[in-house]
Amino acid sequence: MDVSELMDFLHYIFSFNSESPLLFTQFYFWAFFAVVYAGFALIMEFGSKQGKTAKARLHMRNVFLMLVSWFFYYKTSGQALAILAFVTCSDWIIAQQIYRTNSTQKHWAANLWLLLSVLIDLSFLCYFKYAYFGVDVVNSICGTHFSIVDKIILPVGISFYTFQVISYTTDVYRGKVQPVKNLLDFGFYVSFFPQLVAGPIVRASEFIPQLYKPFFLGRRQFGIAVFWILNGLMKKIILSDYLAVNLIDRVFDNPLLFTGFENLFALFAYSLQVYADFSGYTDIAIGVAMLMGFYLPKNFDSPYKSRNPQEFWRRWHQSLSRWLKGYVYIPLGGNRTLLGFKTGKLLASNVNSFLTMLIGGLWHGASWNFVIWGGLNGVGMIISKSWAALKQRLGITDFIGKRRILSKVEDVVAIVLTFTFITFTRLFFRSGSNLDPATQNEVAWRTAKQMMGQIVGAWNSAIIPDFLREYHVVVILFVLGMIIHWLPAHFKRWYRLNFAMMPLWLMAICVTMAVFVAYQFITADMQPFIYFQF
Amino acid sequence: MRPKHIVLFVFSCLVLLGGVCVLFPQQSTLFRWPTLGEVFGKPSEVADTLVLADTLETIAIQMSSDSLRLDTIVPNHVPDYSYEPDTVFPQAALAAFYRALRCADTSVVRVVHYGDSQIEEDRMSSSLRRYLQREYGGGGVGLIPLHQTIPTLTLSQRLYMNDVMQTTQQGPKRYMVYGPRSLRRTTNQYGMMGQVAVMNDSLVAGSEDLILKLEPMSSKVATDTYFSRIRVFADTTIHYTTSQLEDSTSSAEIHLSGRGDVYGISLETSMGVMLDNIPMRGCNGNVFTQMDSMQLATYFSETHTALIILQFGGNSIPSAKDESYIRSAVYALRLQVRFLRSCAPNASILFIGPSDMLTSIDGELQTYPLIPYMDHLLSQMARSENIAYFSLYNAMGGRNSMISWQQKGWAGSDGVHFSRCGAEKATDKLIKWMFPN
Repeated sequence: MDVSELMDFLHYIFSFNSESPLLFTQFYFWAFFAVVYAGFALIMEFGSKQGKTAKARLHMRNVFLMLVSWFFYYKTSGQALAILAFVTCSDWIIAQQIYRTNSTQKHWAANLWLLLSVLIDLSFLCYFKYAYFGVDVVNSICGTHFSIVDKIILPVGISFYTFQVISYTTDVYRGKVQPVKNLLDFGFYVSFFPQLVAGPIVRASEFIPQLYKPFFLGRRQFGIAVFWILNGLMKKIILSDYLAVNLIDRVFDNPLLFTGFENLFALFAYSLQVYADFSGYTDIAIGVAMLMGFYLPKNFDSPYKSRNPQEFWRRWHQSLSRWLKGYVYIPLGGNRTLLGFKTGKLLASNVNSFLTMLIGGLWHGASWNFVIWGGLNGVGMIISKSWAALKQRLGITDFIGKRRILSKVEDVVAIVLTFTFITFTRLFFRSGSNLDPATQNEVAWRTAKQMMGQIVGAWNSAIIPDFLREYHVVVILFVLGMIIHWLPAHFKRWYRLNFAMMPLWLMAICVTMAVFVAYQFITADMQPFIYFQF
Repeated sequence: MRPKHIVLFVFSCLVLLGGVCVLFPQQSTLFRWPTLGEVFGKPSEVADTLVLADTLETIAIQMSSDSLRLDTIVPNHVPDYSYEPDTVFPQAALAAFYRALRCADTSVVRVVHYGDSQIEEDRMSSSLRRYLQREYGGGGVGLIPLHQTIPTLTLSQRLYMNDVMQTTQQGPKRYMVYGPRSLRRTTNQYGMMGQVAVMNDSLVAGSEDLILKLEPMSSKVATDTYFSRIRVFADTTIHYTTSQLEDSTSSAEIHLSGRGDVYGISLETSMGVMLDNIPMRGCNGNVFTQMDSMQLATYFSETHTALIILQFGGNSIPSAKDESYIRSAVYALRLQVRFLRSCAPNASILFIGPSDMLTSIDGELQTYPLIPYMDHLLSQMARSENIAYFSLYNAMGGRNSMISWQQKGWAGSDGVHFSRCGAEKATDKLIKWMFPN
């Protein structure tokens, strides 16, 4: 290797390239992680385990991890690192002010500081994420012809870390956590690389105490961490990417080329894809963080086992659901008040849930499709709650509850219905994803309309045998994926623990074999994680 | 566990995986695994390819008839199928069409665009139609089937049978010369569109009176949505009335009754250019010889067809195992060209070859290796048959250009079909090539 080749190599390693972000599914990430972990181990193994040295070591670890996290973010999002750094500094300073004014009983000042913090955070989010949508809405309503001059590129993960810093300043305001004294420690909390770009959204009260705890990882936890990483990789590569590349993307790109059956199958397959993709990312993030002694909150709990939309949202993207509940639903009035007025519990709960879901939809993406998606989920929750109340009143719940078989049948029907409902709402979710912001409203709406048109009007059953033959690998993977998803939780726990406790040499062989199998399913260039766009 | 033990474990795994790289037999066809060189190299050379594809695209426009240089500078594994550029070609082959265009202000000039799924939804055809109607006059989308099973960008069709709106699976019985064999009919009369709807095929269910309502798609306002004349190509036993048309309109209602074949409905003007979009999904283009030549000849003559565009070849590529398969496919297409020429001796014929198409080879998306060969054979066939040939593959930028088209949002993720925007770009290149001045 001559000097110019070496320089090229270094440039490739350290420069930002929007075409190749640092993904958990790339060798480059794992090489990066191995080097980072070696540095991490060096810090943790160095010097005394007690006293000032131990404290200094923890601080050094936090600083080290913050710097590598910033590098990770730079490789993923380039100059958007400056926004992350700015938000980190502003919220750190404002949180100190909130704490100081709160403790001196100047609540009005604390309110103002909190408002300022939320305004700063949301203004970045709104500009980068909602500018096109806002202009579109203004143009539609006022008949104007405003346009965005420059192309706005959404910084990766901005929705996640914005919510995270809002939760921090709000928790400080509410007195749930004390402000972090050291800016670098706070920077580490905001930018911790495993969860930086796609969550889980870690609340300050859950994570900040871990900054000051010494490293501890039991043998079983270590095995569990490795299990989560492998589990995530398999989900992402074998289920998500393979299904997407080989069927789903093709159908969503051009629904009219496919029959209603193919459109319907792709829609259901997308439900599995988005779960495998997002939960796969979270699994890897949890595993990687755990290896460094940090515990991230669980984000998914087999969501397609849900019997109604409310339960689904308790099992799906749990960190976002908790955030929305804590920082949107309850401030809106929860089940007590509606717009500040005391109303019936049911009315307040329903309207506030619906509004929360609309905001949740808008958080996912800036187009009417995401608003519709959020609204549909809200309506689903209201209908489901009303149905449950009606069943209770008519005595149906008691009647079924006393009969075991009927109860089981009801569970199965409810799970299938909920899965189908959630799948159909995703028609709007997927149609609006991965599009040019300038045209996404039009394209998303057209795609959704065309798919529904095909599903309703161009079924063509004659093609089903051909489809099953041509796409047999896709079909098998989909069926297998759903079966694994629906396996009982205790059985999953059993094999997880068995894996975790196997001898290390055997575990290393299992890792190698799992990576080998996953590699066979790589069909093309790696697909970025779906939730990177939010 | 202490961090140093975990470091040891992580590096052990990496070493084990590296060991597999060293020991794995690269000639294995059952499994795949990268070499150490591939692992430590850049993820892919797509970026370089993109630059190259862009460069090629520019060259392709400048040298539309010369694929020699394109193929020689592309780093591919395919042999160089170079051929000499012919400066007279294609204008000479399109002479009849150009002549007809010069009289478009006083007579009808019809262009019939047959193709595979690449032209579905009126993609490509609509852009070409807009250009021709803007330059030479004319209006209307041309031929449409009685029952629209695949929506288009330009026209919305709703069919009512006894006042009940029909889904794509309902309506009169349809027969097609392409697609599943079960759709063939006992005769070979399929009309110009290669499909026929038979009204009152079975009278058991009573008489079927049809109403067809036509409206332009709201998203598009263009010359091709306006028409002043409706012609129904059908058996004489079919009776139809159309709602009163003003001088120029973009929507209409057609009432049909009787028993017999309906081959299509033409929305047109009395002068200028009409362009029919006739997509044949999944078809490799070898179906024309199965159609009634007398009927086709009559229709081509009656409609003043001056140009027949054939856009096929893409559907033969995925199943092509070797060069002999491609040679057979092109030979079959040559027979179709001869057949169509015998049906429309006064019309020019333009063949549009397959676009660049991607397939996964060793886990990386790249051009189907046999596309350049097919493109080359088709152009040779075109020259020897004295028809025009437009190399869509070269116009896109040649090998791996589909990747760059995908990146720009001009093609779908299947690596085969153009997006609407991409279809317009491709047609722009076709127009520049057809009308260089």
